[in-house]
Amino acid sequence: MSAMANEALAYVDALHNLARHLTGNPADAEDLVQETYARALRAERQFTPGTNLKAWLFRILRNTFVSSYRRRRRDPTVAGLDPIEAESAGALDQAWLHDDVELDRLRKVVAEEIEAALMTLSEDARTVILLDLEGFTEVEVGEVLGCPVGTVKSRLSRARAALRLKLRDYAR
Amino acid sequence: MNCDDVRLNLRDHRQGRLEAAAEDELRAHLSACPHCAHVAAAEEELTDALERRLPQYPASFALKRRLAAQWPLAAQWPLAAQWPVASPRPAWWRAWRPAPIAALALAGLMLVVAPVVYYERRDAGTAKSMVAEAVNDHLRVLSSQRPLEIESGGLHQVKPWFEGRLDFAPVVTFEGDADFPLKGGAVGYFFDRKAAVFVYTRRLHPISLIVFRADGLRWPAGEGGVSAKDERGFAAIVWRRGALGYALVSDIDGRELTSLAARLRAAP
Repeated sequence: MSAMANEALAYVDALHNLARHLTGNPADAEDLVQETYARALRAERQFTPGTNLKAWLFRILRNTFVSSYRRRRRDPTVAGLDPIEAESAGALDQAWLHDDVELDRLRKVVAEEIEAALMTLSEDARTVILLDLEGFTEVEVGEVLGCPVGTVKSRLSRARAALRLKLRDYAR
Repeated sequence: MNCDDVRLNLRDHRQGRLEAAAEDELRAHLSACPHCAHVAAAEEELTDALERRLPQYPASFALKRRLAAQWPLAAQWPLAAQWPVASPRPAWWRAWRPAPIAALALAGLMLVVAPVVYYERRDAGTAKSMVAEAVNDHLRVLSSQRPLEIESGGLHQVKPWFEGRLDFAPVVTFEGDADFPLKGGAVGYFFDRKAAVFVYTRRLHPISLIVFRADGLRWPAGEGGVSAKDERGFAAIVWRRGALGYALVSDIDGRELTSLAARLRAAP
């Protein structure tokens, strides 16, 4: 096995975590990760040694998900921003979010509420939030998503605002 | 810097990635704009909630084994994941080649040291995976619509309920007491296998005792089991007795959980 393959295996937990949050179920997550590694192995020669292997693998996973799972599910809410994200910036200007109520609710949400709220976001929004949580820089997130840093910034900002808005419904 | 600019740069601000001038400008804006100051505080709380409470899903051992099978030389999994990437043979090695005695001595030393390092690192990884899985299972039970599939009328009612639902008989003899009453049970999963979940409580806190077949899992050396005081806010204790594994998880204090574990292990 090459050094690249050996290093690639070190990222299986992080890749599986993203896959699980994208697909929403364990079986699809495992299939997605396995397919990601199979594609990475086939495309090994296309990887430039010394560049960011982790971002490269996440990009493969993301592309595999978009090309296979998203199409298979034919879910109208999965592509692009969902309505809640589009209007989130405006909604967050509502007065109730300006006091300490929101902070108090955010402090009280539990694991399943956060996960449920996250799952209601579009896959684009979920992905950018999870990549940020994973510790990727904005440049690296841009590499994974194939978009400029400015776009990453605005997507992340909108996605997090939408998540805060969603959590309003859970943390009561 | 206006409000929109501030919102876009809050993440960089918290992570210390802004340049000095932009940082000063943003701080000045936050101190003058209560609206943006609130957003900054809310973003802080959101980050904390995501980092500390969002469930994590590491890959199962079964998936890791499948991947290792795809790449046969990764048979040392999961150790391979923790090793640094192999690098081209360095120059110092060429200098060692003409010194076979010294090289043999080094090889002998490695034979002694390597297994110690191997098992220490393997045990650390194994313990972490088991604790993470136990917490995930506890959360799965709590988040299901019917966390208790059988309400407790006592251990004699809960244990028989598992018959036909599992491919093993869970060995649990602690019936609960005033400190830790038994509330009921449910079928759960631990990694790739079915598990019996007994739910005890301490005040209003649910405590999951997950019982599963121990075979085929990689266990840390020794009989003491593994424990964690703060795995995403939960305490967890995992141990093995004979053919069965046990994982105890709750958000109660670690000492209280240890007290329950002692009662479970002491029961005949």
